[in-house]
Amino acid sequence: MPGILSELRVLELTHRPSGAYCAKLLADQGADTIKVEPPGWGDQARHEPPFIDEVPHPDRGTSYLAFNTNKRGITLDVEQAEGRELFERLAATADIILESYSPGRLAELGLGYERLSQSNPGLILVSITYFGQDGPYANYQGDDLVAQAMGGYLYAVTGSASQPPMGTALQQMEITAARNGAVAVMAALLRREQSAEGTHIDVSTMEAAVSTPSGLIHPYTYTGRNPHRGGSDGNVMDGMHLPTLDGEVTLTTAGTGGRPMEAWAEFLEEPGLLDSRFASRSGRMEHWEELHGLVAPKLAQWTNLDLMRESMARGLVVGLVQTPQQVVESPHLEERGFFVEMDHASAGPLKYPGSGFFIDGENAMASDRPAPRLGEHNVEILCGELGLTVRDLGLLRAARVI
Amino acid sequence: MAEKGILDGVRVLTLEQVHALPWGTGFLADLGADVIRVESPDHLQDRKAGPFPGGTAGEEWWNEAGNMVYYGARNKRSLCMAVTDPRGKEVFLKLVEKADIVTDNFRPGTMQRFGFDHDSLSAINPRIITLSSTAYGYTGPWRRAGSRARTVDAACGLSYLTGYEGGPSVRASNNYMDHSVGDNVAYALLLALYQRNKTGKGMRVDLTMLETGVSAVGPAILEAQRGITRDRLGCAHWWKAPHNVYPAGGDDRWIVIVVSSDTEWESLKEAMGSPQWAEGTKFGTALARWHNRHELDELIANWTSQHDDLELAQRLQGLGIAAGSAMTAQDLVNDSHLQERDYMWEFSNPQAPAVGPRLFAGRPYRDPGNPMSIETVAGLGQDNEAILAELAGLSPAEIGELESEGVVFGAPRPDEPRP
Repeated sequence: MPGILSELRVLELTHRPSGAYCAKLLADQGADTIKVEPPGWGDQARHEPPFIDEVPHPDRGTSYLAFNTNKRGITLDVEQAEGRELFERLAATADIILESYSPGRLAELGLGYERLSQSNPGLILVSITYFGQDGPYANYQGDDLVAQAMGGYLYAVTGSASQPPMGTALQQMEITAARNGAVAVMAALLRREQSAEGTHIDVSTMEAAVSTPSGLIHPYTYTGRNPHRGGSDGNVMDGMHLPTLDGEVTLTTAGTGGRPMEAWAEFLEEPGLLDSRFASRSGRMEHWEELHGLVAPKLAQWTNLDLMRESMARGLVVGLVQTPQQVVESPHLEERGFFVEMDHASAGPLKYPGSGFFIDGENAMASDRPAPRLGEHNVEILCGELGLTVRDLGLLRAARVI
Repeated sequence: MAEKGILDGVRVLTLEQVHALPWGTGFLADLGADVIRVESPDHLQDRKAGPFPGGTAGEEWWNEAGNMVYYGARNKRSLCMAVTDPRGKEVFLKLVEKADIVTDNFRPGTMQRFGFDHDSLSAINPRIITLSSTAYGYTGPWRRAGSRARTVDAACGLSYLTGYEGGPSVRASNNYMDHSVGDNVAYALLLALYQRNKTGKGMRVDLTMLETGVSAVGPAILEAQRGITRDRLGCAHWWKAPHNVYPAGGDDRWIVIVVSSDTEWESLKEAMGSPQWAEGTKFGTALARWHNRHELDELIANWTSQHDDLELAQRLQGLGIAAGSAMTAQDLVNDSHLQERDYMWEFSNPQAPAVGPRLFAGRPYRDPGNPMSIETVAGLGQDNEAILAELAGLSPAEIGELESEGVVFGAPRPDEPRP
């Protein structure tokens, strides 16, 4: 089936992973998404390691490739009048524009919401920045780590109580901001169907971080205590990672009918777990080293996939701590058809993650095209749609507009 | 439900527990949908999970938990009814006739056992959208596996990549996966509504936590296919240095500093008072700083530990350096930026007068076209009568019968253990 958003056009004029990922979420549902990059250098993510086959090349950055699926790409310098004019013409055809300039900069360029919505009243403009469009931090510099810190996530969530704060890998606050942006866009599209009105949406990555843990702000306002990192410290049965033959696993006391030690003693064939010291959660925490000494050698006899299968059969709940390699090779994901394969001109064929949902049994992830090479669709879009000649393109290129 | 939101007229029946799905349907409730939380009298864990004022559950604990305001029942309605009872099932199926969306987060198989699988519901209402939010999905060898957000944090690859530099893997969070799934649920449901506006047809959505998690670690998935491994780096970075969290003055106070260019490094040196150690080749280039980052981090830590983190972050930001305090919840509640943006929402739940007004994290985006706020929070079974009368068409006598015969509940059973 054609993507749900296939009748829509998205322009992406963003500089950080949050914007790229938000546009990707829309592109993966079929929206005709045009990534607008500065000429010459392009998206900064093109230049950030690691690179496919370890070759530093602007089409091979793995974050770039992962966050720009199903988009077309053009280069355009909107700092120049010529570039702005072309952008404006494209903007008139767009349903959604994503941008991540410092607040006010887009308006300074003459491309603010007021201006663009005059000729395109249904336009949905999404500004996706670290701190939002107003307030004392609006012009602060950010990145994912700064957002984790200022959003309270760093202090409270991932690390160990006895060590410094430590964050979540792989820019998850950027991704969370992007997901929030995509929800906001869908709500705005539904509103537009009724009212024909567009809107200007303000997404903040810092606020995405604050909203993310279920237990940050209101646990404090209810109890007066600051939530603090270290939730899995010394928690053998409900938090720690424990080695197996070919990886790691994390156990839970779920699915044991309220008798976790009996259930695990039977499963692991380790009667030592029935010791009364381990009967309560607090006892297990107090004697965690002894408990670890009993559990770890038993788990070390299992392979990950065997452990998953057998524990599942007994109704026990475990989590395999999978490496990315194990995820790629997962028989479960293979059977579900989760990954979509796309062949990139420079990076070659690769399996890309799907959207996380299937609709009527179909993977709801477009596989139209891998991430665009820099300026790959300049001719197709600037000549094919805006009517420039190839000669015009040459002039614009010489003037570094494209 | 919120007044006159964009989803006015959209009705959602949700058989939901814990965090992920309630977080997702909470967006629809905020946007004006009539989200009916169908709660089981036998599974009141969500209402027991707190937090409670002062950490102690009160007399009417089932309406006092903070999580119910933050996502469980905010802007939703509550019908507390045993759908496992044949009479409860009959009522549920009547409600399906007047619903647009049915969501659940049971393991695959449970909805079918209830007779609530997509095909059965679609036969009653062909426009119905059903969404099941599960750990591993309706197909594949792991479909019957139980889960916690933490176990899927592990299975999707995120935990493996997270950890202190040189240290073991740790779970990123006990509930980050719940939250991502909730966001993805909201996205998928709004997409489904958008699609149904075009086709008039319902659809079936099979949404999983594992796959939502994998979709968030895409770069590592591509790298794995070409033999590239990612070391755990804690708060350090693949190519930036300094990029870390540093101790500040005071107990358990910390500041993050990120330098992305030579210009920013020059500014940081100046802020540090141009110390002798910062001159010379050891830290002179981006490459040198990265290779010597452990020594660099120690030297910076010596400096930051003499400063107040909030003041220092502000000063560094004034010089164009990305820096920020590792904020506590208390810092955030008092934060001038969030206050000026009206980010936090104060809410006083009339269903739980003992709790009084409390602050909650707000929505992390603003759309003047679709404003959101907490307007109501459903007490347990608060809307039983309205829903049964208006939507299921039951008479007061029939409703009274369901109440007296233990199908519908306005409060926990008298012998329900207190949290």
